[in-house]
Amino acid sequence: MRFFALSCASSILILAASTSLFAQGRGGRGGPPPTPQAAARIDITGYWVSLVTEDWRYRQFTPPKGDYESVPINPAGKKVADAWDPAKDEAAGEQCKAYGAAGLMRMPTHLHITWQDDRTLKLETDAGTQTRIFHFGPAQGAGGDWQGVSSATWDYPEPEVRTGFGGIDFGFELPPAPGGSLKVVTTKMKPGYLRKNGVPYGAGTVMTEYFDRYDIPGGDTLLLVTSEVNDPEYLTNPFWTSTHFKKQDDASGWNPTPCLSR
Amino acid sequence: MKVTRTVLLILFVLAMRAKLSAQFRPPPAFDIDITGYWTPPLHEDGLERGNGPEIADYGGFALNEAGRLFALSYDPSRLTLRYHQCDGYIMPYQMRAVGNFRTWEERDPHTQQLIALHWWAQTTEGNRTIYMDGRAHPPAWAPHSFTGFSTGHFVGNSLVINTTHLKQGWLRRNGSPESDQATVTEFVTRHGDHLTDTTVITDPVYLTEPEVRSNDYVRQPGDHHVWLYACDDGEEITGRAPDVVPNYLFGKQPFAKEYSEKYKLPLIATLGGAETLYPGWAAKAKSATQAEALAKLQPAPNQPAETSKAINPEPHDGEIHVLHIRDNVYMLLGDGGNIVVQTGDEGAFLVDSGEGKLSDKVIAAIRRISQRPIQFIANTSFHADHIGGNAKLAAAGSDPSLPGSFFDLQSPGAATGLLFDPAHHATIMAQNNVVFRMEAAKMSSEMVPADTYLEERRRKFQNGELVELFYEPNAITDGDSIVHFRRSDVIAVGDIFTTTQYPFIDLKNGGSVQGEIKALDDILSRTGYEHDENGGTYIVPGHGYLSDEHEVTEYRDMVVIVRDRVQAMMKAGATLDQIKAARVTADYDTRYGANSGPWTTAMFIEAVYNSLKQPPAKLSAEK
Repeated sequence: MRFFALSCASSILILAASTSLFAQGRGGRGGPPPTPQAAARIDITGYWVSLVTEDWRYRQFTPPKGDYESVPINPAGKKVADAWDPAKDEAAGEQCKAYGAAGLMRMPTHLHITWQDDRTLKLETDAGTQTRIFHFGPAQGAGGDWQGVSSATWDYPEPEVRTGFGGIDFGFELPPAPGGSLKVVTTKMKPGYLRKNGVPYGAGTVMTEYFDRYDIPGGDTLLLVTSEVNDPEYLTNPFWTSTHFKKQDDASGWNPTPCLSR
Repeated sequence: MKVTRTVLLILFVLAMRAKLSAQFRPPPAFDIDITGYWTPPLHEDGLERGNGPEIADYGGFALNEAGRLFALSYDPSRLTLRYHQCDGYIMPYQMRAVGNFRTWEERDPHTQQLIALHWWAQTTEGNRTIYMDGRAHPPAWAPHSFTGFSTGHFVGNSLVINTTHLKQGWLRRNGSPESDQATVTEFVTRHGDHLTDTTVITDPVYLTEPEVRSNDYVRQPGDHHVWLYACDDGEEITGRAPDVVPNYLFGKQPFAKEYSEKYKLPLIATLGGAETLYPGWAAKAKSATQAEALAKLQPAPNQPAETSKAINPEPHDGEIHVLHIRDNVYMLLGDGGNIVVQTGDEGAFLVDSGEGKLSDKVIAAIRRISQRPIQFIANTSFHADHIGGNAKLAAAGSDPSLPGSFFDLQSPGAATGLLFDPAHHATIMAQNNVVFRMEAAKMSSEMVPADTYLEERRRKFQNGELVELFYEPNAITDGDSIVHFRRSDVIAVGDIFTTTQYPFIDLKNGGSVQGEIKALDDILSRTGYEHDENGGTYIVPGHGYLSDEHEVTEYRDMVVIVRDRVQAMMKAGATLDQIKAARVTADYDTRYGANSGPWTTAMFIEAVYNSLKQPPAKLSAEK
């Protein structure tokens, strides 16, 4: 009886080993892992332009003081927003408070996204002439400026589903999905504005963004930037927005402008 | 021995692995799970999605001139009309609405293949089905609904959905329109417990470029148990005439400046258009003059009339296409006007006979769905595209109720010239004026109805249900009928209502805009919806796709609004040429307009003008 149990156990081990080895064999062992640039399954580089179809009044124009409709702002945040004084910001040389990472992508703007090197994406905006750096791997830099420190990863739809029978893998491998997202986590931002009218975010803000690319009928391509802003200082809940951009063939319309505080 | 047993066991396990491997095939592509309960955080456009939008706030919508004028003409009081009180939300707006959502899968019980995803919206009980089994979209002549017809497939980490067959509705609750020609592509992407649905709306009628919006949802842990949104219409304003549709004349929208003044925005900035979507718009808007802005509140003068951007839903491939409507009632398309066929134990009952160019194919199609010959053909008018097949279709049928009857004995193809061996000839029915018009037009006697009625209605119990013909005086002509199949709840209405053009008001043959509006209201008085102005009574138009009361309501609104504009200008002393130059149909021309062909926009305006100038005597007397 004991021998039979041992036999069963060894069979399962053999099965598991064969599965494991099979899976390893498919994994493409050997050689260094591809660089983030080489591993990219979606291409988000190039010129893009905002499509301001949502929160239109708040984004195309500067809303009046105290207009924080839709933002899950807490009493401390309201207090700051109600005290918004663009002249004071200008005097302090802080015209770019609405152009920090947590507010920048909502601006009507053009984007220019390039690979700075094979581990680093650079995102430039003509609105406010800002630059964001997305570094793959551990966050780099001390932060403390408007754009903070951004750490990037590819968020691929690796299936967690098992293709076999319960816990037993029969060796199937799902075909790799052609798509995926760029995930960017940004921290260490200088406190700024979610909206131009002084709706604030604080120094402890953590922003998680997903960049997705969609090809739409008619030949256009969209870039969707889904953003979750977590700010324990001024928000009651995570602030969710999704902002879209249309691909451009070239730099037409690219018009770098300085930050405007009003 | 023990070793042998061990080896056998290992071999058995490996064999089982191979066998099971053969049985369990991996899915063809990676898919994402969007099932569960979802709530939109409303962190974008929260005010308009919650409490409601401001009037004349169209910024961010790539509206063309027609779309902007439609929105400016829209009076929210229109929702007090019975037939608008329970309007559902069209799908792109539904996905943006306040309220919770629930999604679930439908799988084939035998193969476990994914058939569809279902998406239930708390607000208006929007009930979407997204077919995932690769089926094709229905033909262009199939009915439209508020949720439309959706098919989906997975691409990368997204669910891509294509939707067609939407009803007319709004992009925003202030009248910013979306037409029934709109199609939508969606990309649904899930990141953890956050779902984003990006909708790309293409509308050739009211938009100059696709409208992109993205809706966010946060996953909920469970069911909140509040899913119903029952709506029944009622009387909100009593004593109002049935031909009243609240609307603002062009240039007379009293609240057009309210939004811009409230937020100190340039007026031109708020009136929509593709330019309002892009960077730099604020500066451009600020530099525009007030005159430029005010000019956008009415049609641009001295412009040629726009023409329809709608897809013609009628097949023109030389074949007859059969659409099953409900129970034993079918719609046949392809030979001019739509034909309705009711089948059953008795002979087939037809409404109209088409243009007559493809009658042999019509007869063949009817024989495929009816075991019995054609017994009755009811004509909705005498227009050629509805009676052209009378002779051939009638000759292919028979009316067994006639041989030996009084009619047969009295006029066996002689006295009246209308009966031709009834045993081998279907009976053609119509309002009596159809006969006069056909005879005046010297049409072949074989085409002329033998069974006529004069007033109100003609009843017939055929194939297990009551079939009623109702007379609609002075609508398209002076001999129009609508035909109601009572049990099947299908009404064939001829050219009183089409989805393809402005109403063909044939003034010289007794038509009038007053009668047309009354006829449309009569149709609506006989309809019911299944849920939120969707489904229920089916309406077979003279031309175009199978409809329900919502399409008739929108069409009625259009005719009333155009009449109001023409009437207002006539009261102000305008001539017909001045009315035409004012482009009084500018917000509908991209949907129904034509500058050539048998029925142009100018002819429609002229018919409205002339009927108002000289109203039909009968309707005037009734009034």
